[in-house]
Amino acid sequence: MAGASRTGGNLVEKETTETDAVAAVAIGLSAVLFALAIAAMFERISLTGTLAGVETVTLLGGLLTALGVAVIAFGVGSRFGSVETDPDPSAGIIAGGGAAVPWVVIGGAVASETLGFGTAVGAVAAVAAGAVAFAATVLPREDVGSTLPLGSLLAVTGLVFFTGVIGPTWVWELGWAQQAAITAEFLIPVATLFTTLYGGWASAKAYGGFGARGRHMGAYVLVYLNAISIVAFLFTLVAYVVVQGVPGLLNGADIGLGTGPETTILGVSVTLPVSVPFVMNGVALFNDFQGVLPAIVGTVWLVIGAVLLAVPLGVGAAVFLTEYADRGRFTQVVEVATNGLWSTPSIVFGLFGFAFLIPRFGNGKSLLSGMITLGFMLLPLVVITSREAMLSVPDEYRDASAALGVSKWQTIRSVVLPAALPGVVTGVILGVGRIAGETAPILLTMAGGTFIPESQTVDVIGSFQFTSAPPFVANPALLEATSALPYQLYALITAGVGLGSSVSDPNAFRWATALILLIVVLSFYAIGIATRYYFRRRLRHN
Amino acid sequence: MSENQNPQPQTGTATTDSDQSLTTTTGETVEQTRDEWTNYEFQGEAKMTVEDLDVYYGDDHALKGVSMEIPEKSVTALIGPSGCGKSTYLRCLNRMNDRISSARIDGSVRLGGEEVYQDGVNLVELRKRVGMVFQSPNPFPKSIRENIAYGPKKHGDLDTGLLARLLNRSDADERDRLVERCLRDAALWDEVSDRLDDNALGLSGGQQQRLCIARCLSVDPEVILMDEPASALDPIATAKIEDLIDDLSEEYTVVIVTHNMQQAARISDQTAVFLTGGELVEYGDTDQVFENPHSERVEDYITGKFG
Ligand SMILES: Nc1ncnc2c1ncn2[C@@H]1O[C@H](COP(=O)(O)OP(=O)(O)O)[C@@H](O)[C@H]1O
Ligand SMILES: [Mg+2]
Repeated sequence: MAGASRTGGNLVEKETTETDAVAAVAIGLSAVLFALAIAAMFERISLTGTLAGVETVTLLGGLLTALGVAVIAFGVGSRFGSVETDPDPSAGIIAGGGAAVPWVVIGGAVASETLGFGTAVGAVAAVAAGAVAFAATVLPREDVGSTLPLGSLLAVTGLVFFTGVIGPTWVWELGWAQQAAITAEFLIPVATLFTTLYGGWASAKAYGGFGARGRHMGAYVLVYLNAISIVAFLFTLVAYVVVQGVPGLLNGADIGLGTGPETTILGVSVTLPVSVPFVMNGVALFNDFQGVLPAIVGTVWLVIGAVLLAVPLGVGAAVFLTEYADRGRFTQVVEVATNGLWSTPSIVFGLFGFAFLIPRFGNGKSLLSGMITLGFMLLPLVVITSREAMLSVPDEYRDASAALGVSKWQTIRSVVLPAALPGVVTGVILGVGRIAGETAPILLTMAGGTFIPESQTVDVIGSFQFTSAPPFVANPALLEATSALPYQLYALITAGVGLGSSVSDPNAFRWATALILLIVVLSFYAIGIATRYYFRRRLRHN
Repeated sequence: MSENQNPQPQTGTATTDSDQSLTTTTGETVEQTRDEWTNYEFQGEAKMTVEDLDVYYGDDHALKGVSMEIPEKSVTALIGPSGCGKSTYLRCLNRMNDRISSARIDGSVRLGGEEVYQDGVNLVELRKRVGMVFQSPNPFPKSIRENIAYGPKKHGDLDTGLLARLLNRSDADERDRLVERCLRDAALWDEVSDRLDDNALGLSGGQQQRLCIARCLSVDPEVILMDEPASALDPIATAKIEDLIDDLSEEYTVVIVTHNMQQAARISDQTAVFLTGGELVEYGDTDQVFENPHSERVEDYITGKFG
């Protein structure tokens, strides 16, 4: 771009040049390295193996070195005017601090461990390395300051891996009283991940030509990489459970007319065209394939019961607090109490259920006790979120309704509550996510067992009985010990090896149980989100 | 159209007539309000009569001894600087001030001869007869149809619920007739007749305000109170609202607060001027108040010298 004089008034951005392309390639390289580091961390790629025909560690090292060299080349090129940029006088103190941190680690580790000078010298070296990196970032012009220290960091780290100084089998015994060591499997992905973040940041700044625009690009890339890593983490977690759980889940599954069990739907007896024994069977001696149906049904009823208890109570309390009670000491106390209840450990709720509810409901662990315990756990969140949602309903609606002569209660019912419903549903969704996976309260109030025969599947609807004496309705199913998925999972894990005789592959059985639990919770989520979407649609104009 | 945004202590103009002025301790002279300035004589019936109305918010004396008669089927404008108590006054007429816990009201307000501030007043009935339109349009986040049917439904005049539909007693036709009538009366029907089931929040600001007026008409009011109904609207939407108010005054008694003096002059039959401190200073025929006010402070306010 010789001759293109850079005056302050350039409105149109410069066209893409080869140097821009180099910076863009550097950003792309960072993204690839980032992905590789995450994959290595979750052992999706093996450090001892090869990747694209090269040993994995060597490849990572080579790529890191290349990225570092590219970053340095860009900065130095910019300093000597061969690359057109718009740098500030200094990269700034924050960038300096950011660059100093890894150099402190490297300086300290090299001096005290690699060179064996001991802790004191190591500390001095750490500070010195950090100070040099800080100065090298802050003192020169921004283009050099934000590339040279970080580029060298990448290059040094890359060379250490590339030359095999730290290879796939490297271990650093920490020599503590406890058994503790840093292994290559841990160090290499983590170091790659962090240095790559720095590399991506520096090359994004370079791509933006430094200055304000460069900083914008740098922040943009950092935020994106961060968001991607969160999503990747979540995705990996779910994927891991799915991969481990599917074999057990589909054990003996079959599709085809007449393969499934017979069920009665609306009074008509039909034979289902699919058969998934794991979710359709309990455990029985003569079953070909064992399953967890009783626990699934138990979990579903448990959540339904808790929601039925907590939502009316919680919304009612929120209505009272926001619409009727005067704001003051009393509402403040209630607020503190609800917040405190929400942070109360679940085992405490469980203990309450165990000590207070169980003696009152037939002196045995029962579904009802579990429902009530979890309902109380859910209650504070429902109160908090419903209150929040009602407070955010504009007072104009209440005024408009009152001016039409509509009573307060009718206003709450027809205007305030519908407007607050999406918020209430959000609270219930969050709460259900928590209680559906609770193990401790169930352990104390509902129990169940490791393997539950199909005959113990609760039938809440079918068990309602009408009696001639008060209370006129009875439901024995509610008073029976029932299992739920989290507890069954816990029981399966603690039961250890003793499972072998009942289930052909205990490990697959456990993972499949975990997967089912995940699916059940996610289904509740899906129902909640769909409900919220529906209510929101009604409140909005598109 | 100047408005005194910060209610300062009044520095009224000195008058030569010592009878009309009162020397304060600070040596400034403050014009003394005279009863005859607010004694508006008109033909026809008084729809609402306010006598010696005092309103306090805690220790804050927001309205001081206001008396005025509001003639039936006409437009009464209330003007005055911000914070002088216009909204407070308006809210007394349908007892919306009851909703403010710190407010205390003394005095008498009569609607067609019946005392509004007495024990046993049916607030539902009062607010049905004295409707209100607010400063910023506040339709409910419901469909246009539901917005208008809301009041009558809650009062049990319309039943379109599930049970009524099952029993084949649904008032859906009646409701649709009501919706159409109110929307026509509020000059909105032509713009929304094809999207009655759309959410009201999708309408423009001016349309929303006319919807609020239509909603107010749905319960058959006798008096319509409007608190700066056009202050959030653009000039074209404002003009539509003004035309609408003119039409409404043939059937309804309209009381409108505005800080736009041209608007008051254009649409009202009589004008009441409140000044800072919660006093009603002058009340009379709009032409008289604007062209030949008794009070010098009112003249200053109207000509923009005030404040
Ligand atoms: N809800 C309230 N609580 C306490 N004071 C209020 C309230 N509403 C109005 N006031 C006070 O009463 C006075 C008159 O207010 P308002 O009637 O809103 O005036 P205007 O409508 O003429 O601008 C002001 O001083 C205001 O601060
Ligand atoms: Mg006002």
